Amino acid sequence: MNSKSVRYLPLVVTVGQVVIFPYYIIWLKQVSLTFTLFAWFFATFSFSAAWGYRIYQTKKNKEQSYVFIIYAGMGIVYVLIGLIKNSYEYLPYIVLPLQVTLGLLQGYFRAWHSEQDTYHLHAVHHYLIVGFMMIGFSFTRIISPVVFIAIFGLLLCLCGFWDFIRRGKLSEPKKV
Amino acid sequence: MTVEKNIRFFSVAALYNKIKTMKIHNMTIKGVTMQRLMELLKKPWFLGSLVVVFVAVVLWNIPIEKRKYGLSQGSLVTDYTGLLPQRVERIVKAENRQDLQRIVKEANKDGQKISVAGLQHSQGGHTYYKDGVVLDMRTFNRILEIDEQQKTIRVEAGASWEDVQEAIQPHGLALKVTQSQSIFTIGGSLSVNAHGRDIRFGSMAETVKEMTLLTPSGEIKTITRDDPDDWMKYVFGGYGLFGVILDVTLELTENDIYTIHTEQLKTDQYETYFNELLTHRNTAMHYARVSVAPSTFLDEMVVVNYDYTEKQDHKTVLKKEQGVRLSKIALDVGRQGGALEDLFWGTQKLYIGSLDGKEITRNNVMRSESTFMEYTKPGRVEVLQEFFVPIHAYGDYINDLKQIIPSNDRSEDFKVHNITVRYAAKDEVTTLNYAKEDMLGLVVLIQHGLKEDEIANATTLIQNWTRLTLEHGGTYYLPYYRYQTKKQFRDSYPGWEEFVEEKLRKDPNSVFQNMFYEHYLK
Repeated sequence: MNSKSVRYLPLVVTVGQVVIFPYYIIWLKQVSLTFTLFAWFFATFSFSAAWGYRIYQTKKNKEQSYVFIIYAGMGIVYVLIGLIKNSYEYLPYIVLPLQVTLGLLQGYFRAWHSEQDTYHLHAVHHYLIVGFMMIGFSFTRIISPVVFIAIFGLLLCLCGFWDFIRRGKLSEPKKV
Repeated sequence: MTVEKNIRFFSVAALYNKIKTMKIHNMTIKGVTMQRLMELLKKPWFLGSLVVVFVAVVLWNIPIEKRKYGLSQGSLVTDYTGLLPQRVERIVKAENRQDLQRIVKEANKDGQKISVAGLQHSQGGHTYYKDGVVLDMRTFNRILEIDEQQKTIRVEAGASWEDVQEAIQPHGLALKVTQSQSIFTIGGSLSVNAHGRDIRFGSMAETVKEMTLLTPSGEIKTITRDDPDDWMKYVFGGYGLFGVILDVTLELTENDIYTIHTEQLKTDQYETYFNELLTHRNTAMHYARVSVAPSTFLDEMVVVNYDYTEKQDHKTVLKKEQGVRLSKIALDVGRQGGALEDLFWGTQKLYIGSLDGKEITRNNVMRSESTFMEYTKPGRVEVLQEFFVPIHAYGDYINDLKQIIPSNDRSEDFKVHNITVRYAAKDEVTTLNYAKEDMLGLVVLIQHGLKEDEIANATTLIQNWTRLTLEHGGTYYLPYYRYQTKKQFRDSYPGWEEFVEEKLRKDPNSVFQNMFYEHYLK
């Protein structure tokens, strides 16, 4: 990646996803009603991620991977979670497609990221950053996980927008 | 010998080789299968299909009944609607008669108040009282005796009608009168003197042959119909204010097989139709639905009759809840109001029409589905109300009702989702008596918001509806939320004074209390 900003976007997204994970879990548990349903929602996510991963792996023209759409897509899902209000009756039915979408996009993103030359470096960095961030968050009182999830969603949308802007100017690098 | 040994050795060796070959063959098959599976897992379409199938399975298994209500609701107890949360001192699980007796005797001494709770489907705080003790009767649910010859069952009051049906079905027996669903406790149903689809056996109270009662003074008494103290008159339809029903002996009948007969009618035809049905037709059970859809509002009805076939059944299993998810989806569509409510009514007519000519046992008629009606939405509630009108007043009553309730409630806060009509035979047993003559009961499913102005609006509408009912010589049912005024209560139940006097005579220390008593009768 020739642009530093675009180069660091996958790291931001990966770190963000791990950091948001505990809050997402709290939210998912709240809407799942039972542990069985909670586990099934997770299974849905997992199957969808496998599907998304494989979609990228079997993609012929990897030059055009449209990762900005993936960032924006994940961002929209998180923002939607933040916007859901007073639909308790239907919440499980809404969560299910969101889990599928999120799983699919994350699987695709992971497959794409793993083929980038910065992947291994990002892996080490993301562990360290997440560690420090979680220590930081342990001193912060988050009143509503939903607000936090929505903010992360907006950040992802910004990443998508940024990637889209830069995409026109820069060519995507191949793995060496 | 050497030749024999050689032959044996070669046979064993051949067998060993064969087994080895088979194992290799099996392993090869397993290997090929595994390889194929791994290949398949690499295909995006396969993974996509896996997701679709799994999502469908999860969708189908999202639980419908999500709400937690009643005695399990943390520090405040509620009943089905959750409209009257209240703090109670403690909840006592009923284990044995002596414990219950001790609690009641102690309450007489120390001024403690007691309420009695079953499955808590009542909606007006009948099962608890502020700072009181709640006797949770659900564990008091044994079947004590079934007399096949006499056709009776003796059962503890915390048992549900489902428990009773499961016990009597193998004997080819069925209940005479119960509600159309089997999710209530015996004690609860008798305390509200419930009624159902049966049109031949009178009121539920009339089917009780004997009862064991823990009186407000702490005595355990066996009560029969000729009891000089008239306990049955006050305990049945007494809303838990005259002691604890410990067990009852219920009269049973044969588990007959019926043919379902359905018809579509105009509302103004129903009065004549029902009178004819009551006097001439070979019908054992009956109910009807009235349209609340905008285009046919209170104009159309569908009736469902269960006609005798002279056949009886010992084998058909009790049906479980069926088609709950589809029914729930259909009801949710109807809940949207407007054209979608018209669509829901059309679907109901089609479904009910499809039942025509089918056979069903008496026990199965008495256990309709209920889970599909679950409704959970913050800030809103669904409640039941029931209004009784004399059969001869039905046509005029429905016409006048059109002036009170909007036909299209799509944009209204107060929504009527369903009205079913049931027969309530003249009741000569209970004091708080809702059927002073043969009545038709309109069970109404209502939804409204929980903001102050929304509750006030619902209260006004329901009070207007009650006023109209009273003008037509009718009454309203007391197990539901108390939207009505005290005057409307007194006009509906002229026996209230006698009820209160007898309450003070039989329970001088006012041990048995609940929110219903506090609101209407104190």
